[in-house]
Amino acid sequence: MLPASLDEAVEALAATPGAVPVAGATDLMEAVNAGRLRPAALIGLGRITELRGWRYEDGGTAVLGAGLTHARMDRPDFAALIPALADAARTAGPPQIRNVGTLGGNIATAAPAGDTLPVLTVLEATATLARAGGTREVPISHLLTGLDPLRPGELLTWVRVPLLHAPQVFLKATGRSGPARASASVALVLDPARRAVRCAVGAVAPVPLRPLEAEAWVAGCIDWDARGEEGAALIDPAAAAAFGEYVAGACIPDGALDGPEGAGALAARLRRTVSVLARRALGRALK
Amino acid sequence: MSSPTDISSPAELSPAGAEEAQGAEPFGLGGSALRNDALPKALGIYPYAADLWAEGLLWGAVLRSPHPHARIVAIDTTPALALPGVHAVVTAADLPLGPEGIPDGAPSGPIVADRPILASGVVRHHGEPVAAVAADHPDTARLAAASIRVEYELLEVVTDPEQSFNVPPLHPEGNLFRHLPLRTGDPEAVGEIIVEGLYQVGRQDPAPLGAEAGLAVPRPDGGVELHLSSTDPHGDRDRTAACLGLEPDRVRLVVTGVPGATTDREDLSFQVTLALLALRTGRPVKMTLTREESFHAHTSRHPALLRYRHHADAEGRLVKVEAQILLDGGAYADVSAEALAAAAAFSVGPYVCPNVFVDAWAVRTNNPPAGRMRGEGALQTCFAYESQLDQLAAQLGVDPLEIRRRNAMATGDPMPTGQAVTCPAPVAALLDAIADSPLPALPLDDPEADWLLPGGPGGAGDPAAVRRGIGYALGMVHMLGAEGEDEVSTATVRVSGDHATVICAAVDSGQGFATLARQIVQSVLGVSEVYIAPVDSDQSAAGPSARGRHTWVSGGAVERAALMVRHQLLQPIAANFGMSVELLTIADGKISSYDGVLGMPVSEALEGKELWATAQCRPHPTEPLDESGQGDAFVSIAFCAMRAVVDVDIELGAVRVVDVTVAQDVGRALNPRQIEDRIEAAVAQSIGLALLEDLRTEGGRILNPSLTGYRLPTALDTPDVRIAALLEERDVVATFGAKAVSAVPAVVAPAAVAAAVRAATGLPVGRLPILPEDATVG
Repeated sequence: MLPASLDEAVEALAATPGAVPVAGATDLMEAVNAGRLRPAALIGLGRITELRGWRYEDGGTAVLGAGLTHARMDRPDFAALIPALADAARTAGPPQIRNVGTLGGNIATAAPAGDTLPVLTVLEATATLARAGGTREVPISHLLTGLDPLRPGELLTWVRVPLLHAPQVFLKATGRSGPARASASVALVLDPARRAVRCAVGAVAPVPLRPLEAEAWVAGCIDWDARGEEGAALIDPAAAAAFGEYVAGACIPDGALDGPEGAGALAARLRRTVSVLARRALGRALK
Repeated sequence: MSSPTDISSPAELSPAGAEEAQGAEPFGLGGSALRNDALPKALGIYPYAADLWAEGLLWGAVLRSPHPHARIVAIDTTPALALPGVHAVVTAADLPLGPEGIPDGAPSGPIVADRPILASGVVRHHGEPVAAVAADHPDTARLAAASIRVEYELLEVVTDPEQSFNVPPLHPEGNLFRHLPLRTGDPEAVGEIIVEGLYQVGRQDPAPLGAEAGLAVPRPDGGVELHLSSTDPHGDRDRTAACLGLEPDRVRLVVTGVPGATTDREDLSFQVTLALLALRTGRPVKMTLTREESFHAHTSRHPALLRYRHHADAEGRLVKVEAQILLDGGAYADVSAEALAAAAAFSVGPYVCPNVFVDAWAVRTNNPPAGRMRGEGALQTCFAYESQLDQLAAQLGVDPLEIRRRNAMATGDPMPTGQAVTCPAPVAALLDAIADSPLPALPLDDPEADWLLPGGPGGAGDPAAVRRGIGYALGMVHMLGAEGEDEVSTATVRVSGDHATVICAAVDSGQGFATLARQIVQSVLGVSEVYIAPVDSDQSAAGPSARGRHTWVSGGAVERAALMVRHQLLQPIAANFGMSVELLTIADGKISSYDGVLGMPVSEALEGKELWATAQCRPHPTEPLDESGQGDAFVSIAFCAMRAVVDVDIELGAVRVVDVTVAQDVGRALNPRQIEDRIEAAVAQSIGLALLEDLRTEGGRILNPSLTGYRLPTALDTPDVRIAALLEERDVVATFGAKAVSAVPAVVAPAAVAAAVRAATGLPVGRLPILPEDATVG
């Protein structure tokens, strides 16, 4: 099925239980080809052009179409608006994947290493879910954790991202120079209006993790009044390093380190990687 | 540095730079002719085996073992046969019976016939073919294969090659493929300095971009025609015929486009099963493997465990080398015995050492079978002996280049096998070439502007945590079959009017043989239009595309055939002028006499004629290594020196290879551009092995049989490859004096990268691939 509009799409979804909506198909067709998935029907979203763009709303929110491709999010106009999401999109894979893979697909697949997910979490974005006859708004984090999952007949249409107009960073560790799946990733944004730091860690757990205590602690270590001053050090390097440890400790609990020999070493190594990423992310945001 | 003293073939007389002067397409040997298949491949119009089609064809699919080691209690194929559209289901019972009159899966193999086409009684590795189906749709075939009920009784899985010695035989042929002891000199010798190391090499997969595909068409005479991207058409034909119980002349193998091969391209099970399905159904059968199946089907590089002890005197000269080398051959023998010979014979590297005591073993496990792959055996030991030399340099406080200079082998020096290196061994000159090559600049002033940090563009790299390291490595590998293998190739050259045709069953697997054959004929006959006939097994045998042999044996055969044609062409002209043929030369498309009286275009002399000749080339014989690893086992050896520059993010362990500089002993550069391409390709593949590629297994099961899980290097992972020198010291016994170029850079690159990571981090780096945890400091 190839609906030409959003309404047609949600009607098709309501009419055909078991149908799976498909956009870039980079994850879905791989699963179909490997025989892991045999959907009753596919609803192609490629012709719904309105979902492929983005717009402003109320001056303070960007409304992103679920069909926005990674390649589009990497473009300079978008990067100026939500730099961390652009960074995540840029590193999400090789050009062939980024040209077709979509934001909505990344959320719907909800892979632990999905690159846009920690960014959306840290930006406290919400998703608009459409069904025949209505829509509802759900925080992305609720959608990912299964607190409020996608219901049958619902289609992910828009993602609302509050604009912050402040530094934001996405960093991922892959161990190589070419595109690769993250072994760990960190998204970090400053919210100067609230004098807050928000941070999310991806790829280390089934869903992105928010180390709330570490966020609150580090916000108090930052010299917010010195922002904008030439060459001002906004944070003590020791505090930045401690923040890294704090984040890593929160995301990879001590229990994991006591696992069987191999697993324990892996957890220790992951903790170290997260610590380095969080420290570097904070450093870049405060530069 | 080149000394043309060997053959006074007309090729020598053709000025190498002539084509540049004419501004035309490069012509003849020494020119950088473009590969024949370069444009079609770039344009996407090159026909691969997966593009084959025949009217009324059926589709094949294979059922593979989900277990690494199990007894097959029962196979029930009725569910598959009950599916509409299924035409045949075959198992080991459909193959010719074994010597005892019971099905044995028709075992086959290049050295030992131990690998069944379809598992019979026992499966010995994850993914081993158990049954196959032909159906009228590929999905039907796959569903049918999946519906076959196989009852397995699980057996103990042996995955640790060290355990292989102590467990009951996994196969009637035993668990030891070969033990090769190598002993030379005084076992009591002791050096003033001793360094020890334990080294590990992971499992690299050839991961060809084109997965296995082929088409089998039954013939009216009861035989079968196979269309495959085989790299050894005659060997594959003979083995296929033997497994099917047919005479070899009833099987015809037609070679289709080869999508690049750095190993034996097709696994035998695939093609025999395909042929069996076609014979059984009487219809053409096509089969294309999925990427996952491809990882299960073809052989990988031998994982290795190497324990070394180097003794040196106070100046760092080697006194004694002791080593234990263990190659994990996986479930079946394949070419493990051959790889082991290379591992043992080159266990010291291109260095002189009077006392060498090595024990090398290749053993059977329930891991995926290992086979041929660029520099098999030699690559694993190169990583170990070069790591040892770096340790020695560090202990002595000597520069790594200096320690290598002090020990470098030269022409005439003996190898640990007792064989003297009679071919050119310009090892010291290679070292000088890379030492003199300028280093890439460190972008210190503007760290973030142009500096592609480890982790890639937009990655997490931080200049403050990046350390640069420089590493050097030397290595060697033999060319052609070793230990008494009969190397021979046959070629026919036909000239008709203004164009020539080469008929030779040497498959261009990406090594560029078709381009070379064209250049040879151009040089010898002065004809510019040279057509290379497609390869099939009805032509005379040329042997496998492996071990860098085709430039030598098939290039030699083409040259001889072309020379015979040349003689036929020039004889009447020479007789006309009352002079001998030797006084005539062909150059720039013209036949001229020594005195300049005659100047006839080649096309005029050829007008209306058809001349042809067939010739063979067979290099000098070799002998097997004896019970103490001694013997003249190798025809010739190629050497290479490499310098790798890496940047390491020491907090995250990310490594980026910035630059690789290569100096290689090529004998004679027959096509400089192709040589550079081959070196780049080998370096890229080996950087994959050094940093990324590892076909991981757990309990014998392959964990990452996909191109997402198995990480191949991309353009961003691959460094600038610079050629510091192609040393042209001709090998007098080789065709054109040229040495094989593809394998030796692949052998050396992992060692160079490991040395550079060691230099950057100060960590020992004892295993390949080098994972982030091996390059993280603190």
